[in-house]
Amino acid sequence: MIEILSSSFMQKALFVGIIVSFVSGLVSVFVVLRKMSFIGAGISHAAFGGVAIGFFTGLNPVITAIFYCIAVALGIEVVSRKGKISEDASIGIFFASSMALGIVLISLSKEYTVDLFGYLFGNILAITHGEVLLSLFTAVVVIVGMLLFLKEIFLITYSEEIARVSGISVKAINIFFLVVLSVSIVISMKIVGIILISALLVIPGATAQLFARNLYSMIFISCGIAMLSTILGLFLSYEFDIAPGGSIVLTAAALFFAALVLKKRQ
Amino acid sequence: MRAIEINNLSVTFNGKDVLKDITLSLDEGRFIGIVGPNGGGKTTLLRVILGLVKPLSGQIYVFGKLPEDILKTGNIFGYLPQILKVEPNFPVRVIDVVMMGRYGKIGMLRWPGGKDVEKSMECLSMMGVADLKDMLYGQLSGGQQQRVSIARALAGEPRILILDEPSTGIDVVGQEDFYHLLKGLQKKFNLTVIMASHDIGAITTYVDEIACLNHTFHYQGNPLGALDEKVMTNLYGKNVDVLMHTDICDKCERLRRE
Repeated sequence: MIEILSSSFMQKALFVGIIVSFVSGLVSVFVVLRKMSFIGAGISHAAFGGVAIGFFTGLNPVITAIFYCIAVALGIEVVSRKGKISEDASIGIFFASSMALGIVLISLSKEYTVDLFGYLFGNILAITHGEVLLSLFTAVVVIVGMLLFLKEIFLITYSEEIARVSGISVKAINIFFLVVLSVSIVISMKIVGIILISALLVIPGATAQLFARNLYSMIFISCGIAMLSTILGLFLSYEFDIAPGGSIVLTAAALFFAALVLKKRQ
Repeated sequence: MRAIEINNLSVTFNGKDVLKDITLSLDEGRFIGIVGPNGGGKTTLLRVILGLVKPLSGQIYVFGKLPEDILKTGNIFGYLPQILKVEPNFPVRVIDVVMMGRYGKIGMLRWPGGKDVEKSMECLSMMGVADLKDMLYGQLSGGQQQRVSIARALAGEPRILILDEPSTGIDVVGQEDFYHLLKGLQKKFNLTVIMASHDIGAITTYVDEIACLNHTFHYQGNPLGALDEKVMTNLYGKNVDVLMHTDICDKCERLRRE
């Protein structure tokens, strides 16, 4: 145990893992309550396109992914609203075309792209100092932003109409939440990978909803489950020499099913 | 003071007239019932007053201001929508729901304090459901949810209370108590109450005014006058006997004979 903690790459991984999973635990509450898990999956796969833009242009892939994901999230909204098609179909279109854009750009990139696997499957153990700082900064911004507008986001989740009558700009808060969702997806990318991020957006919230009696208890449980999954998953990954992204998500899933059994027994 | 002033207002959705030539003026502290068949535009009229739907033509003023300006302030209206589906495991307790009614008053970037809790509890007590405060809202019965939602609508200390089919989920016996309670609240707080309902017979004894709406107003004024056969036919068409078969309409028959 102590041996694990003494290695600097493991310290960094744990530090970033805990912060990022706290963020995804917080965001997960609303992803679950607002039934946004498919849009979460859509945006996270779109991150692949965003990363590829970074590779192609030589810019920082995390930064390009953040902007690209925000654009996709808002694009999904606009296309489903203005185009009068279901949000479901709109997500499907952006989801696939972003992945396709990613594949095209990667094949055009001259740069050696072994790093790509780090984004697809996560590579928390190889996280750089700069990425730690970037994750920390964005996490703080997201957490503070969410807490400032928590009561408005919750009221909109309960009923958009009542929120509007209460003088809340539902459109602005919804855009804000999509931006927060996109940013939290991108900063989770290095932890569990693009393919598995949506698990971190759904499992903690779904587990918390089994027991929560109010918003605060749901946030508390959700963040707890997310952080516990990351910590346990990292130790398992170290012990058994398995990919951390997979072990973190499997740990979260195991916790969910354990909670489900516990709930049924009650 | 004039609470609502509407002149020649029309609303269309996809080329169809939902509301046509609506003119209405309502003083503060009055209780008006908007009755009419389902699909007759009652909900749309309420949403126009709330500033949620923009009219195609005509004017509407709430306390002399445009509804969209009133909407931004967030503390004039208490609103009970017709359908509010909350899942049984949605993590919100009764007290949290009522507290939401104060968010418009509290405003952005501020947190509810002790006074807000106190006011919320007061509203729950008024509706006779204070003992439910720690229950999950989604697990209550329809009638209990309705009472809690009205407590929520009252918690923001509104000047106008807008209720869309509030008796949904409440049994016929409970409805009488319920309307009685509303009447009491109106008097106590000098509230302007606008209530949409499709059961004309049940509300006539409680409201001060009635407006019969089927895309346009077929009658406006004293509640008893609305029970005229011609008005009823304009409102509900030939299927008027469908309404007469219920207990509630036995009562409207009685009222008509008196």
